[in-house]
Amino acid sequence: MIRIENLTVAFGGVRPLDNLNAELTAPIAGLIGPNGAGKTTLLNVLSGFVRPISGTVVLDDIDLLALSPIRRVAAGLRRTFQQELVVDDLTLWENIQAIADHVSQTRRDGEQDVDRAIAFVGLQRQKHLPGRRANLFERRMVEIAKTLVGRPKVILMDEPGAGLNESETERLRELLVAIPAEYDAQLVLIDHDADLIASVCVETLVLDFGKRLALGSTRTVLDDPIVRKAYLGNA
Amino acid sequence: MNTQDRLTVPAAEAARLERSRRPGFNLLTMAAVVAALTIIIATTAGGYWLEIFTASFAVALAAAGTGLLYGRLGLISLCQYALVGIGGWVSLRVYHAFHPPFEICVLAGGLGASVIGVLWGLPAIRMRGLYLALATLMLAGAFQVVIANWSFPNGGTNFLGYMGDKPRVDMARPPFATAEAAYFVYVAVFLLLGLILLELHRQSKPGRAWALISRDERMAAASGVRIVFYKTWAFALAGFLAGIAGGLLAGCYGGLDSGAFSASQSILLFAVSVIGGVFDWPGAIFAGLMFGVPPAFLNYLGVNGYLATLLFGAGLIHALITAPTGVSGQVMGLIERLRRRRDAGTSS
Repeated sequence: MIRIENLTVAFGGVRPLDNLNAELTAPIAGLIGPNGAGKTTLLNVLSGFVRPISGTVVLDDIDLLALSPIRRVAAGLRRTFQQELVVDDLTLWENIQAIADHVSQTRRDGEQDVDRAIAFVGLQRQKHLPGRRANLFERRMVEIAKTLVGRPKVILMDEPGAGLNESETERLRELLVAIPAEYDAQLVLIDHDADLIASVCVETLVLDFGKRLALGSTRTVLDDPIVRKAYLGNA
Repeated sequence: MNTQDRLTVPAAEAARLERSRRPGFNLLTMAAVVAALTIIIATTAGGYWLEIFTASFAVALAAAGTGLLYGRLGLISLCQYALVGIGGWVSLRVYHAFHPPFEICVLAGGLGASVIGVLWGLPAIRMRGLYLALATLMLAGAFQVVIANWSFPNGGTNFLGYMGDKPRVDMARPPFATAEAAYFVYVAVFLLLGLILLELHRQSKPGRAWALISRDERMAAASGVRIVFYKTWAFALAGFLAGIAGGLLAGCYGGLDSGAFSASQSILLFAVSVIGGVFDWPGAIFAGLMFGVPPAFLNYLGVNGYLATLLFGAGLIHALITAPTGVSGQVMGLIERLRRRRDAGTSS
């Protein structure tokens, strides 16, 4: 559960997040909004890369803003970035093990976590493939697997389906839906694909100009005329 | 092509990938290559050339450190040859003060250079690119000034161990490696151990952390990697290898000449490291050989050895434009392509 209270971020005179209040409790929560709405800024605040000028963020009972980025990871926060960041010189297994090295309790736990994550995303045959030879879908799967090691509590995914074709997006959808039950973790998903959000997310937060436009069940939110006008461009 | 087709790796290739991932596989290959090269050189070269190859193998250790910083972390360090000099100074000073076994002198040189490298590197650790290059070049410049005034220890009893223009007391080599060929093999063993040390790092937690940092520091931080700690570790290891090289060079010549450690040598070492290749372990050997052999060959022909700097400049431009992975990257790429062709033939 993530609770955000009076969160404001300012870059000079610009406020990418402006007195934002929201509580995300669903196992899979969506975060949508037009370009520049403040979605990625919110993820950066949660990760510790952007310091807000006011407000609080609570992850379960932990005051997230009081922790360094590394301590947030230890507290169970994981994230992916818009751009896939697979290391070309490491194998796919090593790319995931590189995360387990720092978040798993022991070396043995780490190896088990990696094997489990690789099996979950279906990369067993490719696990020793160098990153440079992996295709985009495999790289996206690695990015997801990286968030699954070391007992994650909340996973923030920034456009995990970017660049994937229809069948790959379908496979991604199956995986995302399975994560909360399989890993007992909450998933917060940013994506421009409204169909993906609609089919995966239980609740959705809509941002516009750094403010909360809507928060509720995904179907209700996506059917809201104000949201449709701001986000989808039609009422 | 559907997803499942794209996800399939041929069985033969999957088996080869599994085999090549075994920790011992790369180490065995490395040992075999270094051993073969050592045997060829030790049995065919003599006198002057054997000394050149010995120095080249020692410098290859320092180049391996450059490869670690630049190839693994993207950090441009222009003080690596100064750290060779610092390691040589410490080794000579320890030798003349205590006369311990040769290996202790060499290790002391490695530790000394490592400490200096870390102390200098810590304030610069948050820098990248041009700023880090300049900060490290300042260390090379500072060492050039200091060593020009101090000179290398040559048997004196004062703090600096320098006794002016009196005949130098040579640093004794290990008893079993006094002959040129034996000492060359001895240095080759150090080179192999250094490369193994780096390879073990690459295959384990610090190597993976370096790879994440190099790819994207924010992603690394969001993955729980302590960035300053792992960068400092890399600086320490690169400095250690350079210091070991300095001790081995001191053993090669019996002492060191302060005129040989100008700041430009550090820039030259960086250049040949890039030409040799900073992403694969053979690159360090190519770099060491390029650092030592072409200037010596030009001298042998009666041409000024500094002309080699021009060749290295042209080679660096060529490498940066057409072959950023260097000579070693091209060789490794060729081997990889041949293996894949063979695997494709096996599975069809």
